[in-house]
Amino acid sequence: MSAGVRLEGLRKSYGAVEVIRGVDLDIEPQEFVVFVGPSGCGKSTLLRMIAGLEEITGGDLYIGERRMNDTDASRRGIAMVFQSYALYPHMTVRENMGFALKYAGVKKPEIKAQVDEAARILGLDQLMDRRPKDLSGGQRQRVAIGRAIVRHPEVFLFDEPLSNLDAELRVQMRIEIARLHSELKSTIVYVTHDQVEAMTLADKIVVLRDGRIEQVGTPLDLYDDPDNLFVAGFIGSPKMNFLPAELSGGALTLVEHGGQTVPLPPLGRAPQEGERVTLGIRPEHFRKEGSAALEVDVEIVENLGGETYVYARQAGSDVLTIATGGARGLRQGDRMTARFDPSDALLFNREGLRIR
Amino acid sequence: MSDVAAHRLDPEAAEPSARAALRGPDGPGRDMIGPAVKYIVLSLAAFVSVFPFFWMLVGTTNSSYDIVRGKAWFGDQLLVNLGNLIEQVDLPRVLFNSFYIAIISTVATLLVSSLAGYAFEIFRHKWRERIFAALLLMLSIPFAALMVPLFVMMASAGLINTYSAIILPTIANIFIIFYFRQATKAFPHELRDAAKIDGLKEWQIFLRVYMPVMRSTYAAATIIVFTLTWNNYLWPLIVLQTNDMKTMVLTISSLNSAYTPDFGVIMVATVITTLPTLIIFFLLQRLFVQGMLGSVK
Ligand SMILES: Nc1ncnc2c1ncn2[C@@H]1O[C@H](COP(=O)(O)OP(=O)(O)OP(=O)(O)O)[C@@H](O)[C@H]1O
Ligand SMILES: [Mg+2]
Repeated sequence: MSAGVRLEGLRKSYGAVEVIRGVDLDIEPQEFVVFVGPSGCGKSTLLRMIAGLEEITGGDLYIGERRMNDTDASRRGIAMVFQSYALYPHMTVRENMGFALKYAGVKKPEIKAQVDEAARILGLDQLMDRRPKDLSGGQRQRVAIGRAIVRHPEVFLFDEPLSNLDAELRVQMRIEIARLHSELKSTIVYVTHDQVEAMTLADKIVVLRDGRIEQVGTPLDLYDDPDNLFVAGFIGSPKMNFLPAELSGGALTLVEHGGQTVPLPPLGRAPQEGERVTLGIRPEHFRKEGSAALEVDVEIVENLGGETYVYARQAGSDVLTIATGGARGLRQGDRMTARFDPSDALLFNREGLRIR
Repeated sequence: MSDVAAHRLDPEAAEPSARAALRGPDGPGRDMIGPAVKYIVLSLAAFVSVFPFFWMLVGTTNSSYDIVRGKAWFGDQLLVNLGNLIEQVDLPRVLFNSFYIAIISTVATLLVSSLAGYAFEIFRHKWRERIFAALLLMLSIPFAALMVPLFVMMASAGLINTYSAIILPTIANIFIIFYFRQATKAFPHELRDAAKIDGLKEWQIFLRVYMPVMRSTYAAATIIVFTLTWNNYLWPLIVLQTNDMKTMVLTISSLNSAYTPDFGVIMVATVITTLPTLIIFFLLQRLFVQGMLGSVK
């Protein structure tokens, strides 16, 4: 019912431009894998290569145990849900959902049974005779998912399926997709640039940059233990703070922060004296206590109710984002001491690679 | 027509005080003059464009003598004129010729030219833009320059005085190709992708997805092509040589060139010739508004 997907050295070029530059990835059956990465990094292209909508320039693609490089999109056992829904405007919901089966030569009563089953799962029963233009955005998205379910694919492919929905519907549909995954037990490959979607839905997140994989891991792996500056900056919202530092006398001297020093995080192999490094601290790792302290001037305070974000800097430094929890008293121009525990901080070398 | 005129005037009428302020202390009376002049001009324009139709209808009911005399109101000669027309012309045959040519031409042109426009927009090829530019350049060649070579071609193919001689040259209509290419830019590529995953072949995507989705474009193109071929005059005049092949438009012109043209008969023939294009227009007009709502977003 659900198959794994294996990418081996997958490449894609448009003319002289290489967009996907050698991607190796193993996706287990029933796994929920999320592709994230900045715009233009090749997420959609990679997904479309799996779908069979984009020719593969190099490498091998396996779905289940079969090599699928040259197999027709309709014969790969996949179904895809598009960002724009891509419903056929001239067909009713029922026709949209049954279209693929009709083309596969499935008998009418069987199509009806399948479509009704999908409609029941998605709560579309009342809408079966409407045209897409008479549906709301959320309903259209549901129909698009229904169209995918009806085909009983081994692998579902989603390309930013929720980004046309408003915030509230997005949360609702996100939960629904999670429920579908546990109900249908199928493999899902999902592209998004929404942090929360990636963190909450994924069994495994794949961070892409410029057509290459930067890191693969569970959401918490990537959050707690990123391999490099790029992944550290990409996962987590608001973004991790990066402070340029230099190692001197067994402590870190913060170059842009008036030479304040903070203790070195615990490391397996300490960097050399005088080495230029980057210290990474997540906004939520600033606390009331902690053995390291930074003196900063508050510039902007964002009160979100439950959480308060303070944007602060020291003359000449980049802005630091500090999550202060309940502390609401801060004003612009205040001076504050941002404390943190060095063991929460991460250290990166000059090439941006993590020093562990 | 006057509706459109009223809408155009609206935005200016909506801010009379601002306009008055700009004009200074000339007095409130001047405010009325601008719109009044516009209405007079527009009414004149409307009269000029509607009058020929009115004159045509009036003419069908009057004798040739009255028409020449300039009688501008309805008379009682309609049936007489119609009888004369049927006597002089094999009306069913001529109508059949006109419809046959216009319908086959329209269907073939829409099929071939929409397919070309679709392909030009959808498929990438390094020569695509150059070929397309060359096509557009051909639009600037006047038909008069093509007429003689085309005639020689048709003659050597043995097609003179056949329907094919009229229909074949219309099929690859550069303007319609261009029109469909433009319209295809709004056709969502993801619909093609969805159809491919659903198992459709390229030609099925065109027939089962593209054509229904683009039906308002097809409706507009049908009106254009049907009217063009129905009213086509010069080329049929050259290649259709016997009376039994002639179209309505050619018939009117031959009625016209009689020694003593009967204008009543000509007016009846003209009305009959005008009707189909009007009917097609009103039938298809509804389709314009039904766009691609709901397919994406
Ligand atoms: N048909 C094409 N011809 C040339 N380049 C292309 C083509 N399609 C995509 N690209 C390029 O490939 C790169 C990857 O595109 P892709 O759509 O996969 O990015 P993405 O990660 O999905 O971005 P986004 O988050 O904006 O959707 C981009 O730099 C894009 O310009
Ligand atoms: Mg994309």
